[in-house]
Amino acid sequence: MDKKDSQVVDVSVQAMNLGTGVTGMAAGFAVTLKNMVRSVPGRNTVTIQYPEQRKPYSRRFRGVHALTVRPNGQLKCTACFLCATACPAECITIEASAVTDDAIEKVASRYEIDLSRCIFCGFCVDACPEEAIVMTREYDLATHDRMDELQYGISDLTDREEIQAYGAGYRPHMQYPLVESYLPTELPAKPQDDID
Amino acid sequence: MPIVTIDGHPISVEPDTLIIQAADRAGIEIPRFCYHPDLRPEGNCRMCLVHIKGFANLSPACTTPVTDDMVVNTAHQHDQVRQATKGVLEFLLINHPLDCPVCDQAGECSLQDFYLHPDYGLHPSDVDPPEKVRKRKALNLGPIYLDSERCVMCSRCVRFSNEVSGTGELQFVHRGNHVEIEAFEDRALRDPYAGNLADVCPVGALTSRDFRFKRRVWFLRHANSICAGCSTGCNVRIDYAENAIDRVVPRRNPAVNKSWMCDEGRLSYHNLQDLPRLESPLQRTEAGLQPVSWEEAMLLGQEGMRGPYGRVSAVVASAMATNETLWILRQCANSLPTPTEIDFRLQSINPDINAREDHLLRRLDKAPNSRGAMLLGAGAGRGIEAMAQSAEEGKVGVVVILHYPPLVGQDDNARLAAFQRLIRGAAFSVVLTNTVSGWWNGADVVLPVASWSEEEGTFTNFAGITQLTEAALTPPGEARPAWKALRDLLPVGSLSPRLATVEQIFDRGVAVISAFEGLHYATLASREATVYPPEGRKSYGQEGFAGR
Repeated sequence: MDKKDSQVVDVSVQAMNLGTGVTGMAAGFAVTLKNMVRSVPGRNTVTIQYPEQRKPYSRRFRGVHALTVRPNGQLKCTACFLCATACPAECITIEASAVTDDAIEKVASRYEIDLSRCIFCGFCVDACPEEAIVMTREYDLATHDRMDELQYGISDLTDREEIQAYGAGYRPHMQYPLVESYLPTELPAKPQDDID
Repeated sequence: MPIVTIDGHPISVEPDTLIIQAADRAGIEIPRFCYHPDLRPEGNCRMCLVHIKGFANLSPACTTPVTDDMVVNTAHQHDQVRQATKGVLEFLLINHPLDCPVCDQAGECSLQDFYLHPDYGLHPSDVDPPEKVRKRKALNLGPIYLDSERCVMCSRCVRFSNEVSGTGELQFVHRGNHVEIEAFEDRALRDPYAGNLADVCPVGALTSRDFRFKRRVWFLRHANSICAGCSTGCNVRIDYAENAIDRVVPRRNPAVNKSWMCDEGRLSYHNLQDLPRLESPLQRTEAGLQPVSWEEAMLLGQEGMRGPYGRVSAVVASAMATNETLWILRQCANSLPTPTEIDFRLQSINPDINAREDHLLRRLDKAPNSRGAMLLGAGAGRGIEAMAQSAEEGKVGVVVILHYPPLVGQDDNARLAAFQRLIRGAAFSVVLTNTVSGWWNGADVVLPVASWSEEEGTFTNFAGITQLTEAALTPPGEARPAWKALRDLLPVGSLSPRLATVEQIFDRGVAVISAFEGLHYATLASREATVYPPEGRKSYGQEGFAGR
């Protein structure tokens, strides 16, 4: 629109219109007041005391990965590299090695996920033909160090206590009960670091 | 010339051409397992069945020669052929273990490719995995792993060991569902060409021990190169990732190496990886050789080489270097202010570049570019020994040594000893090499240079065929291609116009020399990657490939 044609509004006239001002303000404060009453402790509180208190997460939550193992304790992963191929962030590093076991032939001797690069898209889990990699519901990954502590190796992805504590998350071949997945569950608090 | 019509495309071919060859030439895909362009056709896999107008039954395209006015239809056009091909593939997959996740062939496997093609595959499998016939897996046959379950019985490997390498170590045993490839008593293969078995195998039955589980093939990048293991100059493809070579495989070139290469050459990249590489220029100080920047090293080198010592100069070339590097080295020799001798030979005897090591490909001369060095006049002196003799007598001023250790075999100690004598006797010495070693102690400037696979350039093989080798890797540390280092050592203005690429050196320098006349870098770099001596040009050896 041309500048000449634009409508000129005198703001001072509007400011004089006290009626509009008062109703508008009242409407705004009504929302505030309503939510204040709602969030009286004991009623529908949104805020929680994190990290002592935790919120429940979906059963399909895509948190930190876990590597699954066979009944004999051996990694299920045969280093087919489909996860590394699917990974858009290129954060999976695998080294394969041969085993003499007749049935398996090939295992991952090194499996590293750089969680500082991971975008938690779950493509690796989708790509895996054998559910050798799944996701857990673990989500709190804050560390004091950006580089080393977020490089998760085989032992981090199989043996850590948190994997059991948070439980399995996204698994593409699993049928999830949709309602149950949103019910709150008891989650043990993460062991706290000593903060100096 | 007969004209054959395949899928409606008229193709004119020489008499006795097979249908599959005519289709390949026209770019029409016919699936195959047992046909290989450099092995005798056997027609046993039945994957290449085609319909020929007027024939009652389908015929295998790999054993049927074309005749004039033949009308052929493939699975792309003909329902009966499509049905037959699908049936053949379904039969081949009945006992296939489907272990693609642990199979090294996955990604370059004919079975995978054909199964996923709508004209040949995508059938549902009616066999439960427990019902499949089990065979032996991961059997170590020396350089090769045998996995019988994956085999499609195409017999390419049997024919290779009978017809090409001549060792005849593989054969079919048992019958029907239980037929298997076997080496006698499972002994390790002693064929120096066994690595080719993994290449000819269209599936994952024979895989390379060297490449086993190293990397999935779809992560590999490729560079077309020439093997630097001997003077044959086999065409190879370097497969690499993350700036490291993972394997070297042959490229087909009917005039040089057909589809084959020897295991020595195939594994020669390990020798390169094992070398302690020189990564920074060095300068002689009170406290021995110390690292300096390229700029300082260049200034030092230029100043030293200008020095009027009133003595002769000696330039040592290397047959491991590319034609472009050798040409620049010669310009370097010409630009020295004193009379200069240049040679790459130890004595003034020409090396026997043609001498064979076996009936197939290997040659005794373990340098890739001896012919090129001779043609470029880098072997015009009295030999390195004689130069070292002069140096010891105090007659030599400036010494420039270019040296790469061979990729097959060990460094020649006599050669290194002569280098040491040269350096000791010279007033000023520049060494260009890719390896940390002891012989260059006492040199004034040592420059790190790129190795084979790290620089592009051309090699001229024993027969005078000039072939292009592409760069795959980045040189380690501050190493540069030798031609760049030598070009910058030349006095400013001695090369005009400034030569910035290998292509310019080849076209404006090397191709001016009569032996290389008519060659262009762009043609060498084209898809064919090989240019032979044009008609009438002198050829230096017998035909490239003898075979059996």
